[in-house]
Amino acid sequence: MDFEWPDQPEKFDEFEQELKQAMERRPAPPSLKRRIMQKRSARRTERHHTTMIWWQRLAASLLIAGVIAGGFGYRQIEERRKGEEAKQQVLTALRITNQVLNNMNRKLAEHDKPENGK
Amino acid sequence: MAHNWQPDFEKLVDEHQSMVFSLAWRMTGDRGLAEEVAQDVFLELDRHMTRIESPEHALNWLRRVAMSRSADALRRRRVRGVDLWVEIEEKHGSPAEERQSPLETRLEQLLSTLPEAQRAALILRYQEDMTPEEIASAVETPLATVKSNLHRGLKLLRAKATTNLKEYIRGL
Repeated sequence: MDFEWPDQPEKFDEFEQELKQAMERRPAPPSLKRRIMQKRSARRTERHHTTMIWWQRLAASLLIAGVIAGGFGYRQIEERRKGEEAKQQVLTALRITNQVLNNMNRKLAEHDKPENGK
Repeated sequence: MAHNWQPDFEKLVDEHQSMVFSLAWRMTGDRGLAEEVAQDVFLELDRHMTRIESPEHALNWLRRVAMSRSADALRRRRVRGVDLWVEIEEKHGSPAEERQSPLETRLEQLLSTLPEAQRAALILRYQEDMTPEEIASAVETPLATVKSNLHRGLKLLRAKATTNLKEYIRGL
């Protein structure tokens, strides 16, 4: 394209001057700034609200995870305790059996003594 | 110096609302739509405040985003099937032009009938007093294209004005 484009306003011709005058900035409506500030504030409140909701969800999730983990842990501890209790009962039963067998052995030994004396 | 500058959103709105609104109105030709565009532009500025480094950066950012959002708004309108040019013709007689002379109003009407790229170049040139280099940077277009748009746009506008505004302008 072979043409000179004027960069300086003083080079504007009469038509361009008219155009420049016609295209002065228009004043913004008086309510524009108020609406912008209101929307900005509403958006920030909404964003804050959304953030709060996410934090609440996270807290609820952590709480649920804690309850589940706690329940699982409690169940394991309870099972271990029951296992230990059963083991003790078996040991007690074995001890009693052992004692009974010892008594029986002792009685049998006493019963065999006179026979030996004959 | 730029590092010491702290952007104040409310002050930026005060300083630039007229510029953003005017760019949007002249690009879209619709006052209501221009107000919506201006609101969106400033709300976007609010989201980008941490990245604004200086008053000049804020001004250039606002110009670029205002032009781009206005073009988006026009595209959305076209997709929705609204006959923009008829609408522009109808809406350009609104009360906000009370302080304009009949010639200024007619010139703006003629400007609104130019193709979008030419209109954008002329608006930035004559409303914002920007050089072709600055326009090229603002609308992210090659300098040669901007110069071509300015040249063709002005030529077309002159031709339209010759037919429609002969009684007003001596320099035609």
